[in-house]
Amino acid sequence: MNLRSDHVGGGAFVGFGVLVLALSGDLPTGQLSMPGAGFLPKLIAAFTIIFGLALFFRARESEPLSTLGWSDGKHAALVIAITAAATALYTSLGFITTMMLMMIGLLVIVERRNVLRAALYSVCTVMVTYAVFVLVLKAPLLTGPLGF
Amino acid sequence: METTFISLLHGFEVALQPANLWYAFLGCLVGTLVGVLPGIGPLSGISILLPVTFGLNATQAVIMLAGIYYGSQYGGSTTSILMRIPGEASSVMTCIDGNAMAKKGRAGAALCIAAVGSWIAGTFGIIMLTLIAPPLATLALRFGPPEYTALLVLGLIFLAYMSSTSLVRTLLMACLGLMLGMIGIDNMTGHFRYSFDLAELGDGIGIVPVAVGLFGLGEILATPSHKVVGEVITPKLRELLPNRQEWREAAMPIARGSVLGFIIGIIPGSAHIISSFLSYALEKKVSKHPEQFGKGAVAGVAGPESANNSASTGAFVPMLALGIPTGPITAVLIGALMVHGVSVGPQLVSEHPDVFWGFVASMYVGNLMLLALNLPLVGIFVSVLRIPYTYLYPMIIMFCIIGVYEVSHSIVDVWIMLIMGVLGYGLRKFSFDPAPLVLGLVIAPIFEQSLRQSLIMSNGNYLIFLSRPIALGLVIVSAVLLTLSAISFVLKRKDWRAKLAEAETAES
Repeated sequence: MNLRSDHVGGGAFVGFGVLVLALSGDLPTGQLSMPGAGFLPKLIAAFTIIFGLALFFRARESEPLSTLGWSDGKHAALVIAITAAATALYTSLGFITTMMLMMIGLLVIVERRNVLRAALYSVCTVMVTYAVFVLVLKAPLLTGPLGF
Repeated sequence: METTFISLLHGFEVALQPANLWYAFLGCLVGTLVGVLPGIGPLSGISILLPVTFGLNATQAVIMLAGIYYGSQYGGSTTSILMRIPGEASSVMTCIDGNAMAKKGRAGAALCIAAVGSWIAGTFGIIMLTLIAPPLATLALRFGPPEYTALLVLGLIFLAYMSSTSLVRTLLMACLGLMLGMIGIDNMTGHFRYSFDLAELGDGIGIVPVAVGLFGLGEILATPSHKVVGEVITPKLRELLPNRQEWREAAMPIARGSVLGFIIGIIPGSAHIISSFLSYALEKKVSKHPEQFGKGAVAGVAGPESANNSASTGAFVPMLALGIPTGPITAVLIGALMVHGVSVGPQLVSEHPDVFWGFVASMYVGNLMLLALNLPLVGIFVSVLRIPYTYLYPMIIMFCIIGVYEVSHSIVDVWIMLIMGVLGYGLRKFSFDPAPLVLGLVIAPIFEQSLRQSLIMSNGNYLIFLSRPIALGLVIVSAVLLTLSAISFVLKRKDWRAKLAEAETAES
């Protein structure tokens, strides 16, 4: 069988629906006259499985999986990795340090820009943003261990 | 009618207060920039700036956020005309003839026609909103849980029917959104659902991390910087005014686009996007010179640009009168008002007249501001377009993180945004439109509550949806739409939606 994109998409939704049903085991369904907390989630999970199967069985109309373009995958993975690292550090290092590091990381690692130029741009952008939020909009941003 | 007029005058009293004028101006300016910049749409713009409005009152907040929405519809045309890159999804059709006009040396005229068309359509939309929303809200006061359930089901089916992707895909996205909307404490029984012992998930998943992740971060992940290249055509300011022939060619498309856009705007779905595609198709069909389309036809700019502005105003009708979002943007706006303690629905007109009428009146003023902003300041917007995307997107990611974190000062929300970004990237790869997901997320609590209340009211009898006239009418419309979709699904027949999808794929 030639695997197509909707085989994967439909299959993923069927799997998701089954997972929700499995996780809903302890939620009471109740009765029609008094539906419980699990009533609608289970109903929607059942619909998800039905629609997922419909997509799966009509998958031959979709494009072959091998033709999906993943040329931007490396860019996406790098951006996600750097943003995830910034998220992990955000509450401990504060806004200014984390965002500077994140922007430098994105510009140098992902975009292969000159380190000095990237650092200068990042410092200026982050400082201006900080000033706008804290001084103009009066919306305080997270501070780090050094007080900024 | 007299009451409406008096209320509108009161609205102008509110909207013309200096502080409100300032926030309308700020919203329009930011909206124009959001529209101009490729890779950032009105939804991410509104979501990112949502925390900034926490220090404002509800009227100022909604005036500013709505300004971003309709301002982005104006701004999107600038990038389309000068770079042939849609600054905003609804400006895709403007790229074709707008850029062709620019290449012929008529960039100024194209920008002017787009701006004036947008202003006329926007104003038409607001007049219709002023006339329709209050009586519709009065009618909606008669709605009980069964009517609301039927209306929400109709909304989802309409969304699926209007979607240019398939019915099954849209319904799957809506199901996923509904499922996400059920995370957290069940309001009726107090049960924790799918919160995995995370206290932050007890209140459920917020719309901002989901919307910013899917539309802001997801878009960035799918757009490597080397793909965003384009030459900016700089218009000469003295050539800004169209000639008499161009005005004549633009008049009727603007009128048709205004009416078509408003009608589509009321219907759930990505109305401002669909309306511009339909308007382009309509103009090409009624034109005496269809062969000119694609080569710089004035109607190809005037129609779609008018339609998307009118549609963005039309989308406010169900939002303000019924409290029902027709798309992710109005959903975020409803969320913004809820943050300020204002619940949107039929009671909004009577309980918060300052918010309702101040907002409506501010849109008249905002549209005038946009007309004044877009033409003389086109040079500044052109300069913004020269910032390389390589330097722009790290800044957008920074704003995404600030925007999401500041809503509830929760790092879990930022992680949710990241997960949604990855999900949005994956959904795009597999041709799923993430908009119904956001809509499902927003309506989930209202839908669940009204469905369960209806069943309790009827002692578990589903016939309650067929025994009340309004609910029955809504169920019949839903059934008709489902039947129409099922016919084309079974017969594999290409209807107008399939053709629209083909046009969207070809142009985007």
